[in-house]
Amino acid sequence: MTSIQFDQVSKCYRMGRKLPSLRETLGGPWKSKDGEVHWAVKGVSFELQPGDALGIIGPNGAGKTTILKLLSKITDPTSGRIRVNGRLSALIELGAGFHGELTGRENIYLNGAILGMRKAEIRARFDQIVEFAGIGHYLDTPVKRYSSGMYARLGFAIAAHVDPEVLLVDEVLAVGDYPFQLKCHARMDHLRKNGTSLILVSHNMEAVRRVCDRGLVMYHGKDIFQGTASEAVVAYSDTVRRAARQTQKEVPEEGGLSQQVMTFDAEIENVSLLDMEGRPVNALQSGVPVVVAVDVLVHRDVHQPDFSLTIRTPDGRVVYDTMTSWMKIPMPDFTAGERCRIECRLNLPLIEGIYELDVSIVPADLSHFYDYIERAVGFSVVGSAGAKGIVDLDAQVVIRHPKTEAR
Amino acid sequence: MVSARIGSLYTHRELVLAWTTRIIRARYKQSVLGGLWAIIQPAAAAVIASVIFTLFIPVDTGDVPYLVFSYTAMVPWTLFSGSITDMVDSLTSNMNLVSKIYFPREVLPIAALLARLVDFGVAASMVALLILFSRMSVSLLGLLFLPVILVTQLALALGIGLTGAALNVFYRDIRHLFVLGLQIWMYATPILYPATAVPEQYQSLYFLNPMAGVIEAYRAVLLNNALPNPYLLISIAMSIVSLLVGYWFFKRAESRFADII
Repeated sequence: MTSIQFDQVSKCYRMGRKLPSLRETLGGPWKSKDGEVHWAVKGVSFELQPGDALGIIGPNGAGKTTILKLLSKITDPTSGRIRVNGRLSALIELGAGFHGELTGRENIYLNGAILGMRKAEIRARFDQIVEFAGIGHYLDTPVKRYSSGMYARLGFAIAAHVDPEVLLVDEVLAVGDYPFQLKCHARMDHLRKNGTSLILVSHNMEAVRRVCDRGLVMYHGKDIFQGTASEAVVAYSDTVRRAARQTQKEVPEEGGLSQQVMTFDAEIENVSLLDMEGRPVNALQSGVPVVVAVDVLVHRDVHQPDFSLTIRTPDGRVVYDTMTSWMKIPMPDFTAGERCRIECRLNLPLIEGIYELDVSIVPADLSHFYDYIERAVGFSVVGSAGAKGIVDLDAQVVIRHPKTEAR
Repeated sequence: MVSARIGSLYTHRELVLAWTTRIIRARYKQSVLGGLWAIIQPAAAAVIASVIFTLFIPVDTGDVPYLVFSYTAMVPWTLFSGSITDMVDSLTSNMNLVSKIYFPREVLPIAALLARLVDFGVAASMVALLILFSRMSVSLLGLLFLPVILVTQLALALGIGLTGAALNVFYRDIRHLFVLGLQIWMYATPILYPATAVPEQYQSLYFLNPMAGVIEAYRAVLLNNALPNPYLLISIAMSIVSLLVGYWFFKRAESRFADII
């Protein structure tokens, strides 16, 4: 029996702020002609058999999360047919379904109840969940005091231990540290062997390749490619950059709001993250310096281009953003056919977590991009001592108190 | 389709309970008096009314002391109006849940209603004490009507609350409209005055207000050692209609919630 049938599904959102009329509130599919519409998903079809794992990749705003919301019945399709067989468990957003004031223990029961489980069923799995999430000490702490990593661990632990027949996982895993991600991957493999179908939405191409056997590339609401996971990863990066190269027009930026122009006068061929011995790394010790090496191939003569580097958290918050012009670093003129390597040494005293690095090369007047690679490299940082946030400010604590002073 | 959905509500009964507990815990967390507020709120209103309607403008309530007379009505009214206001807010104040997770959406308004029912239970024990102290005689047959009256008012509130909760997702004016409407409704219901104060020729019109029948029925049973007035049948009929229409409306609008919120 097929576990998921997604048949010519489309989802249309109406844009703008106008209030819907009462008739629209009650009516069937969107009938109104007025107002702009946005097709978040258009004519997408796929089928999953028990044990299949599908990775959905694509730029932000391409409709990936909408597919998960449609599958989990949070929202109804505008047209098309969706069939899901068996218990579905979804992890769509970090901490959704958790209540901050309640403790980890209470939230496990609440979350289980939301997924439709009996109290006894949850009790039977309780220890497994706690052990997997590794939150033993904090079980009776209100979850509002949890770090985002703990949220992700607990959320995944619950979703993955309710014996789902279909498991949907969105970007959330990116928040956990690297060892936990590996643990999640192992758990997903285990579930698949027992017949759970899996859909993973991720920007982490490695994770998609590692966990999924099939891949689907979403682009502007359409499924432009379906094949093996590895093929899909390649197809995706090709598509994005080919679109930029050939038409030299819009590449959707974060949230699909502003439009960018890329001309490829200079092309970023490769970006790598190296340790001080020149070895590629992707899991860094907090505070240990690394080098970002960027290889550029120049197609047309360019005059003193500007090179920029941005580090973000997976949810898009900028950690660090710099440009050669801001640093007053003079860039030479380049002539067509030249190659160049830009090495940028960074200290990364970051809090444990996953980070992403964007690089771009732009003309001196910043009018457009020569080339821009979003999420050129993803890396994880480990080893910051017990703090939350982004930067490890290395707090040194001294308690001044009669008892301690006396010593 | 509808039966499948009711079925899924049944499978989520633990969620209803968990959510109800969560509401009650959150409501009285970090509060000194806690559940006593459930008693104080209607009591304060009844005391103020007693001052006005015994000292300033005397209202004839027969043998029953005015305070008991008004408190007996104020407690079920607080359940009615409080639960409707909470239900109307129940979806919009839990947007992150509604837009991120699927579960039968009526869990939220139903839990809001049940949480108020717990408050009602606390306040009702106070009514029982008052009646004991005033040494009024209450017939057993009359008491058998209490569950009927309670279920009638709950069904009425649930129907209205479901409609309001769904509408409030689309138009936030609804919340304010309901608060205003409930204020007016209170004065159209015999809470601060007996229904007999309404002129004879308006009586049948007056009892088209389903809450008038409900409140009068409570008083008849608890204070007057009588059976409910047949006007209660109007209330029961209207409650059934309210529940059916409200549930239908809610289910029709449900699929749009996540898109709008």
